[in-house]
Amino acid sequence: MSLLAIRDVSKRFGGVNALAGVTFEVEQGDILGIIGPNGAGKTTLLNCISGLYRPDAGDIRWETTSIRGLAPYRIARLGIGRTFQIVRPFPSMTVRENTAMGALFGRPGARLQPGAALNEADMVLDVVGLGEKRHYPVLRLTVPDRKRLEVARALAMRPRLLLLDEVMAGLNQVEIEQALEMVRRVRDSGVTIVLIEHVMKVIVGVCRRALVLNFGRTLVEGPPAEVLKDRRVIEAYLGQRYARDQEK
Amino acid sequence: MSVRRAAYLVAGLAVAFLVLAPLTSIDAAQQAGLPLLTDKLWFRIATTVAMFVVMASAWNIIGGLTGYASFGNVAFFGLGAYTAGVVVTNLNLPFALALVLAPLVAAAFAVIVGIPLLRLRGHYFAVATLGVGVAVGEVVNNIEPLGAATGLFLPIIRSDLLFFYLMLGAALLAVLTTWIILRTRFGYGLLAIRENEEAAAVIGVNTTFYKVAAFCIAAALTGIAGAIFAQWNSFINQDNAFAISDNVQMILMAVIGGTGTVLGPVAGAISLELIIQTLAGGGSGSVFSQIGLGVLLAVCVIFIPRGVIDFFGGRSRLSLRYFRQTLRETSV
Amino acid sequence: MSQFTQQVILGLLLGGVYVAVALGFSLVWGILNIVNLAHGALVIIGAYITWVLFTRLHIDPFLSLPVDALALFVIGYALQRGVINRVIRAPLLFTFLLTFGINLVIVSLLLLIFTGDFRSVTPAYSGSGLHLGSIVIPYIRLGGLAAALLLAGILWVVLNRTRSGTAILAVGADRDAAQLVGVDLRHMYALTFAIGAAFAGVAGGIISTFQSITPTAGDPYTLQAFVVVILGGLGRVSATVAGGLAFGLIEVLGQSAPGLSSSYANAIAFVVLVVVLVVRPRGLLGRLA
Repeated sequence: MSLLAIRDVSKRFGGVNALAGVTFEVEQGDILGIIGPNGAGKTTLLNCISGLYRPDAGDIRWETTSIRGLAPYRIARLGIGRTFQIVRPFPSMTVRENTAMGALFGRPGARLQPGAALNEADMVLDVVGLGEKRHYPVLRLTVPDRKRLEVARALAMRPRLLLLDEVMAGLNQVEIEQALEMVRRVRDSGVTIVLIEHVMKVIVGVCRRALVLNFGRTLVEGPPAEVLKDRRVIEAYLGQRYARDQEK
Repeated sequence: MSVRRAAYLVAGLAVAFLVLAPLTSIDAAQQAGLPLLTDKLWFRIATTVAMFVVMASAWNIIGGLTGYASFGNVAFFGLGAYTAGVVVTNLNLPFALALVLAPLVAAAFAVIVGIPLLRLRGHYFAVATLGVGVAVGEVVNNIEPLGAATGLFLPIIRSDLLFFYLMLGAALLAVLTTWIILRTRFGYGLLAIRENEEAAAVIGVNTTFYKVAAFCIAAALTGIAGAIFAQWNSFINQDNAFAISDNVQMILMAVIGGTGTVLGPVAGAISLELIIQTLAGGGSGSVFSQIGLGVLLAVCVIFIPRGVIDFFGGRSRLSLRYFRQTLRETSV
Repeated sequence: MSQFTQQVILGLLLGGVYVAVALGFSLVWGILNIVNLAHGALVIIGAYITWVLFTRLHIDPFLSLPVDALALFVIGYALQRGVINRVIRAPLLFTFLLTFGINLVIVSLLLLIFTGDFRSVTPAYSGSGLHLGSIVIPYIRLGGLAAALLLAGILWVVLNRTRSGTAILAVGADRDAAQLVGVDLRHMYALTFAIGAAFAGVAGGIISTFQSITPTAGDPYTLQAFVVVILGGLGRVSATVAGGLAFGLIEVLGQSAPGLSSSYANAIAFVVLVVVLVVRPRGLLGRLA
């Protein structure tokens, strides 16, 4: 039985089919990468899973139960955490407090008090590498650090599944290496990960499987190296002519 | 002694004065030869100030902490007032019962109105709640058993002292409630909603429940103030129970004092009400005080949007540079 | 059925007034993201100007409309450039409070200048109207509707066919991008608000012909303008026209319903508001604001 099952999920906005029947499964312990050109529906998919959008059709199952249409806070408490592509910290709180918020509200089955949540935050901050900056106001953080904070807050929830939305965007080579290390540490601690990425190095470097979305549909699924060589994928990203040229 | 220490000392003395000085007006004290420290005028102003402390603090809970600026909290004040009126005049029951029922009625109304309205953001929520404030007053103005346009009279209880202490008690309750909220998980949840509602939702905050709860608490506190006002004034109608100017005053007080803090609304309520009373007392009465209020509002919003309490937290100093910086942040 | 037809016609005529009042309000909200709580006060200034011109110089109210427009244009430009521009990047609450303060000041100044006495503008034709069978259409109301539709047309032309109009739309669509292509934001903001104020002034002139005016008479119009914009939708002139006419119909038909009367005007407006916001937030024709 898979941890998360997406079955034929569709979502439209006005006349646009953001998602048109997406189906895949995530096993416990997996790291699944989702790639696709801009506008393919990747973030919409994440929003449907985390409850910010309600799918128009299809089902989303968490183990045995359907979570389609559940309020976001319920989905969070089931053990699904997520980050946002454009980070959304709580500006008036420090790094430590931001992180603690995840522990305060998102723990499956537990209701922490502020003191305990702050302690939890300290532990998590060390995992992501923000330990020394725990008392910084958010506004003082660099972009890579803000992304770490976003991940820290989600991790403080002790999620079983972590959805990362373009965590690597805007990072340089060194920072990407560090972030990759962090992702591996998270995986090793027992968290299943789904990550949306544009940086192919990440997909190849850390994902066991990759899924390609295009125009709201799944194009290809499989081991990253194969997926990236697939003609349809190259076509989707770079156009038919390039794909043809590659084959020659 | 630092400025901060001195401020606390002054505040402490002020509170002591507030609590003890009115006792000099009791007959027994007078007969014992104690000087009268508080006369009728003092009681009227002090009770009004306390009333606004309640309303500003209550507004702060939904507007300042949660970030949903309601422009219709006056509806809860009026509902509280009319509940007291109904309990005491129409049903001939003791006023103490009104003090219990008023917050319940106000909170119930907050649930009914809050669930649909709290789905709205920003502008929409503000004006929709403004509409509530106006509409409720209008409807009440048309209901015969509540006195319709003439208003409702309550049997007169003459005791400046009693109403002052009641309102002071309500003010302390409001401040204490805010203080407690900010220390609990609930308070953090409200702040999260204010700072980034979607992020709050995905980390597990039940945003709908929290927003409605904050709205109810604000409503209940405001309702208590309304009930006390009704019995104190012995007369209520659409003009004094649903006054839109009260509405804005409570917001202005919270903003001037500093939203999101415990003492901000208190400071704002005290300073603004004293200014208003001074303006109203001198000269052509209410027209000039209205102009003064409008100009003050504009000045505060432009130059000290974070409120006066910003200067007491040690984060900023009152200076020209502060104003210039603020302007740069908010001007086009 | 002619009773009903009379109501519908009255509703449309009232709707015309609402269109006139709401056009400026909608422009300022759509482009500048400012819900101007002083809008009603600007309307009433226009009404007073028409009144003064009528009683002192015997100028027909409909002829004084351009003067209203000009005067309010200047006032609006000064207000935005001098005052409101200073808080435009602050959270919404502050523009709200600021415009509320401006409203207080304007109304109080009007009270000082004109006192609270009720004033009316009564041109020679105010009592008469067009007779169609048993239905009477007052000339004044007809004039008001015509003026309102003319205003809507002018606004559409200005926004869609002039250079300034294009700049205004650009500022509304993407403030930063507009700056990058050379638009002077401060001036554009002031210009937009000035146009909105000018339209408010004209609306005031129209109102003065059928309603007695007093400094506080503008407040209900602010709330009603808000409802019209929500009902019709933001972003298009046609949306405001649709919203205004629809609201006029709802008000007239609603108030003639059993049990209700004109003293429930605000309550009806509020109910409409909440229903629209909950059921169809983008309104009849507009975009989500």
